[in-house]
Amino acid sequence: MRTPIAFYLMLSGILFMLGTVGVLTRKNALLIFMSVELQLNAVNLALVAFSRLHDDLTGQVLAFFSMVVAAAEVVVGLAIIVAIYRRRRSVDVDDVRELRW
Amino acid sequence: MVSQPNAALWVIPALPLATAVVNLFWGRRLGRWAGWVASASVIVSFAVSLAVVSQLVAKPADDRLFLQHLFDWISVGRFVVGMDLRVDSVSATMILVITGIGALIHVYAIGYMAGDPRYGRFFSYMNLFVFFMLMLVLGANYLVLYLGWEGVGLCSYLLIGFWSEVPANAEAAKKAFITTRIGDTLMLIGLALIVSRFGTLDFEVVFGTAGTVLTKDAATAIALLLFAGAIGKSAQVPLHVWLPDAMAGPTPVSALIHAATMVTAGVYLVVRSHVLFELSGVALTVVLVVGVVTAVYAATCAIAQQDIKRVLAYSTISQLGFMFMAAGMRAYGVAMFFLVAHAFYKALLFLGAGSVIHGMHDEQDLRQMGGLRRLMPITFVAFAVGALAQAGIPPLVGFFAKDAVLEVAQHTGREVVYVLGGFAAFLSAFYLGRMVYLTFFGEPRSDRARQAHEAPPVMWAPLVILAFGVATAEWLNLTPEGRLTGFLESITGVSPAGHGLAVVELAVVATTISIVALALTWWIYGSGRVDWRGFRERLEPWPRAALNGWYVDRAYDTVVIQPAKAGAWITAYVVDARIIDGAVNAIGGGVKLLADGGRLLQTGFVRSYALAVFLGAVAILVYVGVRS
Amino acid sequence: MPLDNVVFWVFAPISVASAIGMLLVRNAVHAALFLIVNFFCLAVFYLLLDAPFLFAVQIVVYAGAIMVLFLFVIMLLGVDSGVPVRERLLIQRPLAFVLGAAFVVEFFLAIRAGVGFATRAPDVFTANDGGNTQAVAKVLFTQYFFPFEVTSVLLLVAAIATMVLAHRKARTVTQAEIDAAAGEPDTDEMPVYGAGAAP
Repeated sequence: MRTPIAFYLMLSGILFMLGTVGVLTRKNALLIFMSVELQLNAVNLALVAFSRLHDDLTGQVLAFFSMVVAAAEVVVGLAIIVAIYRRRRSVDVDDVRELRW
Repeated sequence: MVSQPNAALWVIPALPLATAVVNLFWGRRLGRWAGWVASASVIVSFAVSLAVVSQLVAKPADDRLFLQHLFDWISVGRFVVGMDLRVDSVSATMILVITGIGALIHVYAIGYMAGDPRYGRFFSYMNLFVFFMLMLVLGANYLVLYLGWEGVGLCSYLLIGFWSEVPANAEAAKKAFITTRIGDTLMLIGLALIVSRFGTLDFEVVFGTAGTVLTKDAATAIALLLFAGAIGKSAQVPLHVWLPDAMAGPTPVSALIHAATMVTAGVYLVVRSHVLFELSGVALTVVLVVGVVTAVYAATCAIAQQDIKRVLAYSTISQLGFMFMAAGMRAYGVAMFFLVAHAFYKALLFLGAGSVIHGMHDEQDLRQMGGLRRLMPITFVAFAVGALAQAGIPPLVGFFAKDAVLEVAQHTGREVVYVLGGFAAFLSAFYLGRMVYLTFFGEPRSDRARQAHEAPPVMWAPLVILAFGVATAEWLNLTPEGRLTGFLESITGVSPAGHGLAVVELAVVATTISIVALALTWWIYGSGRVDWRGFRERLEPWPRAALNGWYVDRAYDTVVIQPAKAGAWITAYVVDARIIDGAVNAIGGGVKLLADGGRLLQTGFVRSYALAVFLGAVAILVYVGVRS
Repeated sequence: MPLDNVVFWVFAPISVASAIGMLLVRNAVHAALFLIVNFFCLAVFYLLLDAPFLFAVQIVVYAGAIMVLFLFVIMLLGVDSGVPVRERLLIQRPLAFVLGAAFVVEFFLAIRAGVGFATRAPDVFTANDGGNTQAVAKVLFTQYFFPFEVTSVLLLVAAIATMVLAHRKARTVTQAEIDAAAGEPDTDEMPVYGAGAAP
């Protein structure tokens, strides 16, 4: 491989940052969720890059598990969003603000 | 001196204490009997005292000391104070005076206080006072003395303010208590010094080892502190201001407490502690100066008073000054003799005044009296005997007492003291004469005087007894080397002798002074030839100043009381209410401010919470990065 | 020019651009599509990193299943059309950007201090001997067997949970709830599909 591994890692970092900004900035719950998925994927990329660097499959296996868990999480999360939508007719996270002073 | 144990000593104070308790709880049920119960217990106490003293006298002169240990009062480490009673010649004299004259005054009070709604409580307080006074003089150590000291102060307060419905009485009681408190606190410091130097408060130990344990300065400090207590209790200048106001109490109270007994506690204290005073020459000089100043000052105030009891109050202050004069000149035996004589004739004068007031239906102003000798003959004779005695007319006992003091002054070369003492004696005779002539001679000057009646027998009987005693008491001490002083010598030591005018010459001088004063007052007040009212008005403003005690009270008010009140007001309303409360409230307010700010973090928005989490994560990363 | 370099430098910008696009678009469906593009790029990266198994799994699971699920829900709830938002928390956006930038800087420094920008992966990926899938299977079913079984349980639980959550009898939305929801100014205008609508 000719590309320095650091580039993959930087890319992973940038994608993670973008995902975080998305989580913090968006108001639609679904879009927030998608940003979370982006974060997860960025981490997966870093894992695989390290796996390639250290000649160890552990990174890939971890990324695999991460995907599995992400899948489960998406399923449950979307079900929750649907349930909330049914209650409030809105997926705006700013509308769930009872837990305050 | 070898001491003997005597198991009967405790009875003497215990009897009045018991009846005090009885009268306190069951006084109302006893009704009229409360007074007789109280008097009986003091009479029996007197009898027991007589028995004990006769036992004492039977012993050889070196052996006259009874001790009784009741129980260990304080026992802390090596500091032990026992409830110990002691009878030696000095305390023997005192207990006889207290119980004897006290009994007479109790009987008198049965008549005087008849009909009072709190009759029982009055006698309870009187008995309680007698108990504490006895404890004061019977104490074998300073702490028992102090117990009695404080106790009589308490009873004085209770009795002065007995008719507390009148605000002025309560004020007078407060004034008495607070003023004596100043002295008492200094005295307590003195006791603390004694403990620190001697490790004990016992008289035998302290007086026995004082010479070796104390430095001159320590002795001076202790003596002056103790004397401060005496100044307060015995109403000497500058703590004398409470006694004239204390006349607000019932007259038997004035007679017992403020003439015969409590105010003499200071003299007793000085006599008892004379070993310490003599180790420090300065202290004795202070005592002498205070005594002289007080004697003259109070006499000048007495001649201008319009209230019959206030004349006697200032007179008491002045006479106490004489006693301290004697003590200051090391003539402790003479001081004690004066104390006894004064107890007799002062009690007599007060009871007589009470009889006059009673007959005049509670009128006390001299200007309203007059001509009472026809309407109240027994009172008149008794009162006159007392006045003559105090004025120093031989062969009454007062002459011998006063003469003894002046003789010591002259013989020991203290000419200034002699002259000032003589001047005070002149004034003393003057105000007494004025009092007698204004009260009993001339024409009645008011309706009450015209309708005055003699006292009931229960009141004039004690008067007669006292008058008899005054007339005959000089057998106690015909000369300075007389029986009483000799009796006292085992404790007090010999009175200083010296050279000077012969005894006879001194006696003649003294008597002449008194007769001149009495004649002068007869001419001004008794004969009707002088317009004494106009005479007084022309002398203004001096009479008014003297009437107001040369404005000492007002000076205290301005210099001490108002600043203290202002300080208290500042402490209460500025320091406490604003600063301290303000600080506490500010803390609360500060917490509230913090909380008000802090709660803004809880916005309820999930996104802001997420932002906070991210912020924390970045911060931690930065920290870790910087560290490594 | 080495092939992997070229491929990397072609797909990296696409990946970042699609991520940014996902952030910026209003329409939720468009955002989902952008994300799918991003996932495809990531799959290519996995391929570049000698993980063909993950390449396939990424496409099948993420792009094929998860994003499809997302799109289903978006269309179901009808939240696709975005409303111009008025940001209530004024500090949120700026601070998010600042922190993001700080994070990236940090990341850069950490990488420089750790791995180093010159490090290249070894030319041969020996762990892949016998084929990537076989190697992964070997590791997965021996060393990581227990987590594997746990994840299967996890999936089961997730499925059941979803059925419970989503299969509730739809409640009638009361007028009060509609009013409360309508009172909030930033609520998207939702067409109401009627009471008792099943998902």
